[in-house]
Amino acid sequence: MKENELVEILRGCAARKLPELDGLLGILRTTEGAAPYVFHHCEELAGLVLSPRYPLGGIVRVLQARYPKARLGVVVRACDLRGLVELAKRGQVAPDRLYLLAVACTPEEAQHCRCQRPVPNPTGWPQVEVLGSPAAAAEAHPLLVQNERLGLAERWAFWRQEFAKCIKCYGCRNICPECFCQACALEDPLWVERGILAPPFPTFHLVRAMHMASRCVGCRQCELSCPAHIPLTVLYELLRRDVAEMFGYQAGEDLSAQPPLSLSLTEETTPLPNP
Amino acid sequence: MDYRNILTVCPYCGAGCGLYLQMLDGEMVGVLPAKEHPVSQGKLCIKGWNAAAFLRHPDRLPRPLIRQGERFQEASWEEALRLVAEQFRRISSRYGPEALGFLASAKCTNEENYLMQKLARAGFKTNNVDHCARLCHAPTVAGLAAAFGSGAMTNSTPEFSQHTRCFLITGSNTTEGHPLIASHILKAKQQGAKLIVIDPRQVQIGRLADIYLCPQPGTDVAWLNGLMYVIITEGLADQQFIQTRTEGFDQLWEVVQQYPPDRVAQITGIPAAQLQTAARMYAQNKPAAIIYAMGITQHTTGTDNVKCIANLAMLTGNLGIAGAGVNPLRGQNNVQGACDMGALPNVYPAYQPVSAPEVKAKLEAAWQVEGLPEQIGLTVVEMIHAAGQGNLRAMYIMAENPLLSDPDIHDARQCLEQLEFLVVQDIFLSETAQLADVVLPGAAWAEKDGTFTATDRRIQRVRKALPPPGEAKADWEIICLLAQRLGLRGFDFAGPAQIMEEVARLAPSYGGVSYERLDREGFLQWPVPSPDHPGTPYLHKEKFTRGLGRFLPVHFQEAAELPDEEYPFILTTGRSIFQFHTGTMTRRSPKLEQEAPEPYIEIHPEDASRLGLKMPGKVRVISRRGQIELTTRFTEQIRPGVVFIPFHYAEAAANALTQAALDPVAKIPEYKVCAVRVEPIGQS
Ligand code: SF4
Ligand code: SF4
Ligand code: SF4
Repeated sequence: MKENELVEILRGCAARKLPELDGLLGILRTTEGAAPYVFHHCEELAGLVLSPRYPLGGIVRVLQARYPKARLGVVVRACDLRGLVELAKRGQVAPDRLYLLAVACTPEEAQHCRCQRPVPNPTGWPQVEVLGSPAAAAEAHPLLVQNERLGLAERWAFWRQEFAKCIKCYGCRNICPECFCQACALEDPLWVERGILAPPFPTFHLVRAMHMASRCVGCRQCELSCPAHIPLTVLYELLRRDVAEMFGYQAGEDLSAQPPLSLSLTEETTPLPNP
Repeated sequence: MDYRNILTVCPYCGAGCGLYLQMLDGEMVGVLPAKEHPVSQGKLCIKGWNAAAFLRHPDRLPRPLIRQGERFQEASWEEALRLVAEQFRRISSRYGPEALGFLASAKCTNEENYLMQKLARAGFKTNNVDHCARLCHAPTVAGLAAAFGSGAMTNSTPEFSQHTRCFLITGSNTTEGHPLIASHILKAKQQGAKLIVIDPRQVQIGRLADIYLCPQPGTDVAWLNGLMYVIITEGLADQQFIQTRTEGFDQLWEVVQQYPPDRVAQITGIPAAQLQTAARMYAQNKPAAIIYAMGITQHTTGTDNVKCIANLAMLTGNLGIAGAGVNPLRGQNNVQGACDMGALPNVYPAYQPVSAPEVKAKLEAAWQVEGLPEQIGLTVVEMIHAAGQGNLRAMYIMAENPLLSDPDIHDARQCLEQLEFLVVQDIFLSETAQLADVVLPGAAWAEKDGTFTATDRRIQRVRKALPPPGEAKADWEIICLLAQRLGLRGFDFAGPAQIMEEVARLAPSYGGVSYERLDREGFLQWPVPSPDHPGTPYLHKEKFTRGLGRFLPVHFQEAAELPDEEYPFILTTGRSIFQFHTGTMTRRSPKLEQEAPEPYIEIHPEDASRLGLKMPGKVRVISRRGQIELTTRFTEQIRPGVVFIPFHYAEAAANALTQAALDPVAKIPEYKVCAVRVEPIGQS
C-alpha cells in the first residue's frame, strides 16, 4: 500500500475515533512544516500525516503526567508502539488510557530504516487498531554485518573513530523516547568528565549503550538526531542481540514480559515517578 | 489539552538551525529539532537543545529600571521612556547629533535592527550606529567587498554535504563554534570529501582532518601566499577562470612569488612538504570550499587575511559554483541580518552607502525626513573611545554587552562611565546594563515575532511562543514607543511583518521578502530582489557582483604585539561549545553551565612543566593591560608557546588581557594575538 492511500485510511479511522477521545496525538502538516500535535476536531484531520517521524512516546509521557485521566489517542508506527510498551513496563505511561492507531510501515520505509520489525505487534496492549499491510523485515545494516565479522580490537578501533566525531549535543539521549531518567549518568562527573569535546571514549557512549541494552526498541531517533552521523543504532542493535541471546528478551514485543536487567538490579530499577 | 509546536530558529550561532518549541496549554515543555529544516535536518547542538532554558530565569528583567544614585529603582514605561526621550533630546540639541551613539544587536531581529538604525539616522541625524559584527567579521565585509563586490558568505551550508569535495578550514573551531555546519562537513567527509585544517590549535575538526597544519598565530598571510605559490608554480591554477573572470593576476604573482615554501616554513613553522601537500589537495579537488571564522578576522591584519583567502579561491576557480566559495561563518544568530539592515556606520540597509547622494535622496523620500547625515559615523570601538574623551555624551545600547566583549575592558568601563546618559535595553542586567542610567527590559527570542538571517544569507522567521516576563516588551515595540514619544513619524508599525514590508521596499536585496513567502517557503536567501525571484543559494555565478573578481595581493606583516622576555606566551582567545559569547544566556542555562562552569587556560604540557604548573591548578595570566586568574588545562592540541582562553567568563574576562590594536581598514581589534606571562598561584 502506498503512503498516501494509507494516510487516507488513517484519517478515516481517526475521524471515527476522535469523538470518543480527549485528543489524538499525531503529526500535523501546515504550510510552515510538520510537527507533533494533539488533534481535537475532525476538520483538523486533513493535516494529519505520517512523516516525518517524531518520538511520540516522550510526548505521551508529558501529556499523561499533566492529564492523568484523559483518554488519549496516538498514531504510532511499529517502533513507537514498542517504545510505549517499554515505557509502560517502567511506569512512565499508562496503557489503559491510550488508544493506539498503529500503522504498518511500507516496504520502502522498512528498507530505508533497515527495520527488522516494521509491523506493529501489539501483544498485550489493551486498545489498538492496526492499519496497513505487513511489510517484510529489511536486510540488516551493512555496518552491522561488518561489525559482526570484526575482531574485538578492530571493533574497538571502529567505534573509537566514530565517537571521535561526537559533539556532545546529548541529542541521542534527549530525543530517545526510552531515556526518561531525571538524573542522567551521562551528566555525572563520576562517569563522564565534563566539558570535554569529543566526550571521553568510551565512557560517555558505552554508559548510554549499556543503559539502553534492554530498553532500545530500534526507532532510530537517536541516529537521525546525531549531528556527527554516528551509526548509533548499529551499536544498540548489537547489544539488543546479546540481550536476546542471553535472556531471551526482545524489547517492546510483549507488554507482560519483564525486562531482565530491571529484575536483576532491584534497587536500581524502582520506577521513577513521572516528571 | 492544547499541545502544539511552534517552529522557530535557534538564538545562538549563525548556522540558523530550525527548532520547534513544544507548548502545552501555553507553557513551554521542551524543544524538538525540526526534521525538515534544510540546515539542521532534525539535529541540534547542545545550545540549541537548551535554547529555552534561560527564558524563565529569575534574573530576567520584568520592569524598566532608573538609576537613583548607586542603585536602580523600578519604574513605569511612561517614566522611563519620558526620561530617555528628554535626555536624548537635550544632549542632541546641546552637543549636536554626533554626541549620540547607538548600538544595534546581532541577537535582535532584522526588524529591530532596521528600526534602530532608522531611529539614529532619521530621528537624530547621526550615522553613529554599529553593533558587535565589528568585533567579528568587519574584515570579511571589507575584504570580500573589495575582491568580489559583496561581503557575504558566497555559498550555502547544505551545499557542503551535497557538492563539496574538499574543505580548507582555518581559524574556525567548527564543531564547537558552528556545530551544525560541521555536521554537513562530517557528512561530506563520510562520503569521501577531503578535509584540510590549518589552525594554531588542533581543535576537534583538526583531529578529524586528512591534513592538519599548525602555524604560529598571526602568520596567516604568509601561509596563504605560500599555498598560492605552490599552486601557481605547479600549474594547478585555473587559467580559464583567471582569464575570463578576474583581474590583477600579474600583481598577485609579483607578491606571491616571494613566498616559496621554505620561506613560509621559517615564518609560520609549517614544514614545506606539508604546505605543498595541502596546496595540491585543495587545488585538485573541486568544488573546494574555504571556511573560516574569527581566527582569520580578529587580527590587525584581518582584512589582509580575508583578501588572501579570496585570492586563493579565485586562483583555483572555486567561486560561482555550488559547494565551493569563500565561507566566513558568522558568530551570532543574526549578525548577518544586523549588517544587512544597515546597523553599520557607513551604510543603509542592503549596504547602500550613506555618502551616495542618490541613496540619501531615496531614503529621505521614503522616511519623509530631510538632512540625513552623509558623513560616516563612528564604529563601536571608536564610540567607546569618544565617550572616554567626552565627544560622545549619550548612548543607546540594545542587547549588547560591550563591557565583556570589547578589547581591553578596563578601559571600556572607564569610557562608558564618562557618558552623561546611557540607556541599555536587554533581557538581563548585563555588565554593561549595570552602568546604565535607564534599563529597558526587552523580550527574548521566543517572545517575539521577526526574522533572523543566518550566516548563509538565509532569512528565516522566528515566532512568538510565549509572552515576555512582567512588563517586558519586544525591542521593536520599545523603539517604536520611544520614537513616538520623540514625536517622530514613521514608527507606527502594527508588527514586524509591516516593518519587513518597509525593509523590502528600501533594501534591494530583500526586495522579494515577505512574511507570507517566508511562512510558505520556509526561508529565502538574499539577494532576492523581487517577489517572483527564488533567492540565491550561491553568489557570483557567471559574474561577480563587481563585474570581474579582483586579486588583492598582500604582504605578510607581523602581529601588533609579539612575545618577548617579559611576556613570553602568545595568547589566543576563542569559544567553548558549551558557552556562548559573554555568557549572559548560556551561563543561566543549567545544562550548559554545568559542562564548563569555570574559566580555564589551555597550555601545552611542556610549557606547564617548565613553569611547574599543576592540573588542576590555578594560574595568573598577565598582559600589559591586565591580569586574570584561571584553572589550568593541559593539552597537546596547542603549540608550545601559545596559550588559549575562552572569552565567555566575566570573572576572568580574556578581554582584560587583549589589546585594542585595530585593523586599519576594518577597525577590528586583535583578539587572536597578544603577549602574556603565566604564573602559578598557591603552588609550591
Ligand atoms: S533507537 Fe535510539 S532513540 Fe530509539 S529507543 Fe533505541 S536508543 Fe532510543
Ligand atoms: S547525538 Fe551524536 S553527537 Fe550528539 S551526543 Fe549523541 S553521539 Fe554525540
Ligand atoms: S549549531 Fe548553532 S544554530 Fe544550530 S543548534 Fe547549535 S547554536 Fe543553535
